[in-house]
Amino acid sequence: MNLVVWCVTGLLFAAGLAMTVLRRQLLAMLLGIELMVAAVNVALVHQACLLSDAQALAAVLLILAIAAAEAVVGLSLILRAFRSDRGIEAGGFTELHG
Amino acid sequence: MTLWAVALAGAVAVVFAGVMLFHRSLYVSAVCLLVVLLQTGVIFLLRGAPLLGLIQVMVYAGAVMVLVVVTIMASGGGAGDAPRFADFSFPRWLAFLGLAAALLEGALTLRGLGSAPVMVAAAPGLSAAFGQALFTSYALATEAVTLLMFLASLAIAPDREAV
Repeated sequence: MNLVVWCVTGLLFAAGLAMTVLRRQLLAMLLGIELMVAAVNVALVHQACLLSDAQALAAVLLILAIAAAEAVVGLSLILRAFRSDRGIEAGGFTELHG
Repeated sequence: MTLWAVALAGAVAVVFAGVMLFHRSLYVSAVCLLVVLLQTGVIFLLRGAPLLGLIQVMVYAGAVMVLVVVTIMASGGGAGDAPRFADFSFPRWLAFLGLAAALLEGALTLRGLGSAPVMVAAAPGLSAAFGQALFTSYALATEAVTLLMFLASLAIAPDREAV
């Protein structure tokens, strides 16, 4: 069980990281971040249940809520960027370039 | 049997994560993420955290993914848009794969009904301790997260100019 869960966690996290790094659309990057959060939660829940650690389960619940709030804010920012006619490609935002 | 169900849910999640990574349509990527989140909810349930599995399905696979799909549809779909925004079709083989996986997982879980609750009840007091931790030592954090979610919901409220 341990091996299966850790393999799933690693593969999901790698896929999320690759999606965040390799794709250029802001929405795809946000989806990659959500995938990484889900992967980390799988590992946390697995270890919490192995060790019967209720506090870790509470932490996972808080992570879920914070990630949902982050997704909502991210999506509204992306929609705002789209409405300002700058597209939703990450390459369109260059203000912070030196 | 629980091990096989977890392995199947994990394998399906990894396959859909791979499709999500390589498919050019954002809509297909979002639906694949929905399947991945449902599968992680199944893993939570099978590992003995049914409440977290339920919350994962309700909050993530429900509310957040609806927002994602609506955002994709709102930011594309018009004539002249790039195919990755305008393509709202979903590959049939992926839909069949997801459906078959759901049926197989259900069958595995029902077949191992004698062993699955044993796995869930491996720590009988865990759920009670979870609730207690949430409203005692994590009470302040829980209230703060509640406030954060309320503030986040304001982010999708339309501004005065848009109204």
